[in-house]
Amino acid sequence: MKTIILLSVLGIVAMMADIFKYRAVLWYLVLAGIGAAVGLELLEWNQNMPYYGMLLMDNYAVAFSCIILGLLFVWFLVSRDSYTGQEFNDADHYALILFSSVGALLMVSFVDLSLMFLGIEILSIPLYILAGSRKKDLSSNESSLKYFLMGSFTTGILLFGITLVYGATGTFHIERIASAIGNSTMPVYFYTGIALLVVGFGFKVSAVPFHFWTPDVYQGAPTFITAYMSTIVKTAGFAGFYRLFSTSFSNARMPELMEGTTWSILVIVLIVLTIVIGNLIAAYQTNAKRMLAYSGVAQAGYMLMAVLVSQVEDNTKSSLMLYMASYGLATLAAFTVLYYVQKSKGSDEFEAFTSLGKTNPLLAAVLTISMLSLAGIPPTAGFFAKFYLFTSVLKANPSLLWLVGVAIFGSLVSVYYYFKLIISMYGSDEKSTAEVPTNMAYQFILVAIVLIILFLGIQPGLITNLANL
Amino acid sequence: MLSFLIFLPILSICVVLAMPLRRYYLHKAITLATAGIQLLSSVFLFASYQSGQGVQWAETYEWFSFSAGYLGTLSADYSLGLDGFNISLVLLSGIVLFVGAIAGWLTKENRKGYYSLYLLLCSSIYGCFLAQDFLLFFIFFEFMLLPMYFLIGMWGGPRREYASIKFFLYTLAGSLLILIVMIGLSISAFDPIKTATQNGITEIALLKPAMQQGRISASQAVHTFRFEYLGDASCYLPSGILSNASSFIWKGLSLREWAFWALLIGFLIKLPSFPFHTWLPDAHVEAPTAISVVLAGILLKIGGYGIMKIAYPFFPAEALHFSYWIGLLGVISIVWGALNALAMYDLKKMIAYSSVSHMGFVLLGISSVTVEGLNGAIFQQFSHGILSSLLFILTGVLYDRTHDRHIENYHGLAVKMPIYTAFVMVAFFASFGLPGFSGFIGELLILIGAFSSASSAGPLPYWMSLVSTAGILLGAAYFLWTMQRMFFGKFWINRGITWKEGLYDLQSRELLMVIPLSALTLLLGIMPAWLLQSYSSETIAWIQLIRGL
Repeated sequence: MKTIILLSVLGIVAMMADIFKYRAVLWYLVLAGIGAAVGLELLEWNQNMPYYGMLLMDNYAVAFSCIILGLLFVWFLVSRDSYTGQEFNDADHYALILFSSVGALLMVSFVDLSLMFLGIEILSIPLYILAGSRKKDLSSNESSLKYFLMGSFTTGILLFGITLVYGATGTFHIERIASAIGNSTMPVYFYTGIALLVVGFGFKVSAVPFHFWTPDVYQGAPTFITAYMSTIVKTAGFAGFYRLFSTSFSNARMPELMEGTTWSILVIVLIVLTIVIGNLIAAYQTNAKRMLAYSGVAQAGYMLMAVLVSQVEDNTKSSLMLYMASYGLATLAAFTVLYYVQKSKGSDEFEAFTSLGKTNPLLAAVLTISMLSLAGIPPTAGFFAKFYLFTSVLKANPSLLWLVGVAIFGSLVSVYYYFKLIISMYGSDEKSTAEVPTNMAYQFILVAIVLIILFLGIQPGLITNLANL
Repeated sequence: MLSFLIFLPILSICVVLAMPLRRYYLHKAITLATAGIQLLSSVFLFASYQSGQGVQWAETYEWFSFSAGYLGTLSADYSLGLDGFNISLVLLSGIVLFVGAIAGWLTKENRKGYYSLYLLLCSSIYGCFLAQDFLLFFIFFEFMLLPMYFLIGMWGGPRREYASIKFFLYTLAGSLLILIVMIGLSISAFDPIKTATQNGITEIALLKPAMQQGRISASQAVHTFRFEYLGDASCYLPSGILSNASSFIWKGLSLREWAFWALLIGFLIKLPSFPFHTWLPDAHVEAPTAISVVLAGILLKIGGYGIMKIAYPFFPAEALHFSYWIGLLGVISIVWGALNALAMYDLKKMIAYSSVSHMGFVLLGISSVTVEGLNGAIFQQFSHGILSSLLFILTGVLYDRTHDRHIENYHGLAVKMPIYTAFVMVAFFASFGLPGFSGFIGELLILIGAFSSASSAGPLPYWMSLVSTAGILLGAAYFLWTMQRMFFGKFWINRGITWKEGLYDLQSRELLMVIPLSALTLLLGIMPAWLLQSYSSETIAWIQLIRGL
């Protein structure tokens, strides 16, 4: 709660920077603020503090808030370079990003559906603006409009779902929903409500077949905004999805019509479609940014597996958390490298990466390790993230072995396209030897990120030992 | 000591990376020195190893463990050790990696990257062979692909990108199958010592019955990846999905049978056996000489090692049940590989297919489930490691001079390169199993095993051993035919070949590689007991385990 207030205040401070002329120090202020926010968050560990029946700062909320704040901190570190030019006004952007992050924090700590809805809206609205912040660029405008239209539809669907669930149970509180369900059979419109909520969250986390907006929005938006959307927004989306479904609907049984099945059948369909289609389309991309967008879609499929088994297995929380952290770090590093390549070569096609291995070996190494982590090759964090996830799925329900098989097929395909990017970096092409300059400080940050990825790959216990949240 | 073998190359990488680019001779020297130290340590380990005294030089530390809710604790160990199955391969790795370091001496492009990746390969190969914990083994097994992928993909021939990604995807597909089975195995098994400690039981002997009868619930178990527990049926929970008691049947096969095949296919891809062998010729043709040497000399052996060390002992009943089919795959690989080799125009491709044929013998030896057959299989792994390294180095010698490997483009090379021809003769004769060389001993033992399998109620019928004998004949045919076409008769060379530096004979650096390897194959052919005694009692125990005696 204190964190949410602090972050909101920080947003207002950022907004005032132009008026009171402290833009030069704003970046440091924001970093210090986020650092303080992490500290405040950690004070709430094991406190289980409820706030007016709206928020509950349990350990789940604290841990995910810390991951979000950590990613946000890294985001502010690596995105600095794009705000040193005249293209964007950093004060405005920082304010919008901070407000959006307030929404993200709400989404991991809500216990009331109305607050979850508010969280989603607070998260999304600043992003509609940010996606279109390259005002004279057609694709940026397209991105903004598409994101806005799709976001509005999703909002409508989610609201409708919430309404139906409320109608059936008479409460917005997620734990009271669970007790209202009990073992009784609910009216059909309640299940319709659940289905609509799955669809709504499916849009938010860009699961197939609700992913169509993702590639265009990701490609059109400025690179660092895309990085924000594909890491922090996705983390918040999944954390909310998991929190709602594991708390409220774990007992929800379908009516006579579909005896014995639960909403998990819907999620299984989403997982299979997302993994198969997401990976296959990603394999055909020739544009690195678009490839990363589709890889984000495909990765959502794996994360959905954690939501799927949330009703049985307690430790999927930590699996999801490790997955989120490793995916978020690797993606942020990849987007940072992409940004520098784009800046110096003016293109984000695969060809632009040619001979990066020679002109800037450090960036190439960073991108290589983040691709390896995304592909799940040991000894990176990505390997253990997948390993724990598959282990917890198999433990929860051994008959889901085929689903793990599908996931493994998907990661096999993903190796192909992640490695395509690596090959193109180390391929030798005499033509493109343009330098890709980087600043010493950013190099240091990137190396730090990579070291964290490797460290989590060697000592995964660091996050998974939080299992008893 | 064993950790030192794994971490020394990593230390060397740091040194290589810290050196400036222009001091490339230092990069080479460090790589060679590292490989040399590894070789000496391996020789020392081999000499000090005593068969039949369990795991030696063992090192075990807890790596990580975490609570997994109602299914107990998952724990992985950093556990290394020498046993009868890996000691010969450790020695082989030492020899081949050292030779490979010499073979890569003349690398010109991006030397720093090449030598760092080569050292990384050294580290992960040792890690893979020494690991006594499935998770650790798997991580090194998969991690080994990365340096290999880059070494083929960046220093390879014209179609290197295709070849390297094919190699990578094939092996990765196999290792993902292994991954699924590994997860299944570990959540079905428990670590008796750690479980006892966690539950406050002081008598380990009391623990296993308590677990079997369900007096200690599954949620209090500590799951393990250690080889010694996974290969022990009494360390499986009765409720585990891959325990013997599991009654889950899908499409007519039990879950354990499915798991066995998944594990087996993972290793068959690496071996490679028919029908999973198609990546090998591509990878070999595009890889630089030194990498071909390591690929054929060591990496293929991990497939055979995995089948002996993991697939068979973890699933003994299933393995015995399906050994007929595994033997059949071995026979098909022998004949199919030999027939393909007979049809190849490219010398390197021919040798690659001969590898498929020779590794088929390893599979045949294992699946015979006899002491002779298994001894022969381990011997053949070592012998083939030496011989295929020799063959690829000799091919590389010719390629360095003319940049052409087509068999029909050469005739009568013996006139211009007599010493070279002499060594090629040694390598070819040894490879098709001429008595007096190591190849003969391996194949002989395997065929004895296959015959005695049929006569001792083993899984293989007589016709398999007879057909495999025909494989030896085909082997002699393609090696001798190649010999005759390329080296004998009047000197003639295709005009299309650009004479880069002329066809001079072997130089001292090349002699340094081929003389020890040739001497070793001769030595092993005359004194096979020198190698056989290092694993004699382990193989007997293995047969008893699989046959359920």
